[in-house]
Amino acid sequence: MAPKKKSAAEQAPTAEGALQPSETSQPAETTVPPALTNPDTITTYQALYDVLGRAYWEASDIKYKDTIQGARDAIYEILTDLNRAKLDANTELFLALQPKVKASNKALGKIKEKISSITKNISTASSVIAAIAKVLSIAPSLA
Amino acid sequence: MCHRKSLPGLVSVGLLVLAGCSLSPLAKNTAAFSSATALVVDNTRNAYRAAVRLNEQAQASLLVARFDTDHPMDPHSIRPLIDEKGLKVRTEILDGLRVYAQTIADLASGVSSPRLDEAAAACGSNLKSLSDALSSATSIGITLSSEQANGASTALKALGDFLVKREIKTSVPTVIRNMDPNVEALTKLLSSDIDILREQSDRDYEQILAQQDSFIRHAGTALSATERRAEIARLPRIVTGKSATDDMLGDLQSSINKLAVTHHALAAAATSKDTSSLQARIADLLASGENLATFYESLSSSSSKEKE
Repeated sequence: MAPKKKSAAEQAPTAEGALQPSETSQPAETTVPPALTNPDTITTYQALYDVLGRAYWEASDIKYKDTIQGARDAIYEILTDLNRAKLDANTELFLALQPKVKASNKALGKIKEKISSITKNISTASSVIAAIAKVLSIAPSLA
Repeated sequence: MCHRKSLPGLVSVGLLVLAGCSLSPLAKNTAAFSSATALVVDNTRNAYRAAVRLNEQAQASLLVARFDTDHPMDPHSIRPLIDEKGLKVRTEILDGLRVYAQTIADLASGVSSPRLDEAAAACGSNLKSLSDALSSATSIGITLSSEQANGASTALKALGDFLVKREIKTSVPTVIRNMDPNVEALTKLLSSDIDILREQSDRDYEQILAQQDSFIRHAGTALSATERRAEIARLPRIVTGKSATDDMLGDLQSSINKLAVTHHALAAAATSKDTSSLQARIADLLASGENLATFYESLSSSSSKEKE
């Protein structure tokens, strides 16, 4: 099946995309660039986000605050996209694990069936006894 | 006659001894593990929901902040932190884990007993009918009293119980042992998810906090003194929410890790008579799960109050 073309609404809200929503009609690249999956890069972005956070609260001028928060918002979006990508990667691992959990539950289902068959065997014996009793109860009239 | 009367009774007593009358250690341990697992599963599902909702709030606050700027945000660009497919597989696998824990508990406690009781009772009753029919139809002269029929029912139940317990004793521990690496892999994955959720929640709160602060400052005198006071009062509540969420996600992560260790101990105890360490682990797991259980409810109620 061909991969579904993503709509603008489905695209990652990258800083650039958020700044220019009208230009996001092209299919978005959902794969995270390798440079951004590098732990050092992520740590650097996280550190920058934190530093900008401190700067925001220390700034007294609202214009400075806006500028700082604007940059911080863009980093927030990048880091959020990275977390989405990490969660998506985990989704694939969950999908791979799912059949194993199902297999265990199936094995337990088989044990349940075996236990039911023990009960069923007793029920069958009971039915046979009932059937014999019924035949015997009409036997005198046949004699 | 006397010999015939006592035989079903003796058989039933013997089989009852074989079958055992109280809950086995496996039944007790699996039942406790099932309760603890159900708590962890509920707490984890709630954590996913809470994290996705919080992230939506953070994105909405960004949308508001950029609304009147020269680069407004397209509302369509708001995406869930975990997409539908991701939430579905996580929900299904957590449900699978819950079903697994519940089923081993049910099997170990002999949940099919009512059906077995019914079948055994019917068998005794039919034996009585058979003896009555034999007595009137033939000259054999076999008669079965109600007591003897009840004795036969009891003996059959004991035999059934014995066969069921033997099946459980041989099969269930094998399933538990085979499931152990899967539980370990699953808990590692869940723990990895929680790592991400903690990091994301921390930033989501930071974003909400900064946008709230920015809103108050930009609004200036457009807000009345009362309104301004109420909006400013929200700031420390956001900070408290951030800290509480992080603490609880940390506790949840600890519960998830304990679940793996507890299952490992369960797998070991399923074939061993020494269950003291397992019981301690289960008690620990249950306690940490219970501490978390009310947190997500308090989160929902506090977010409702925030909206009001």
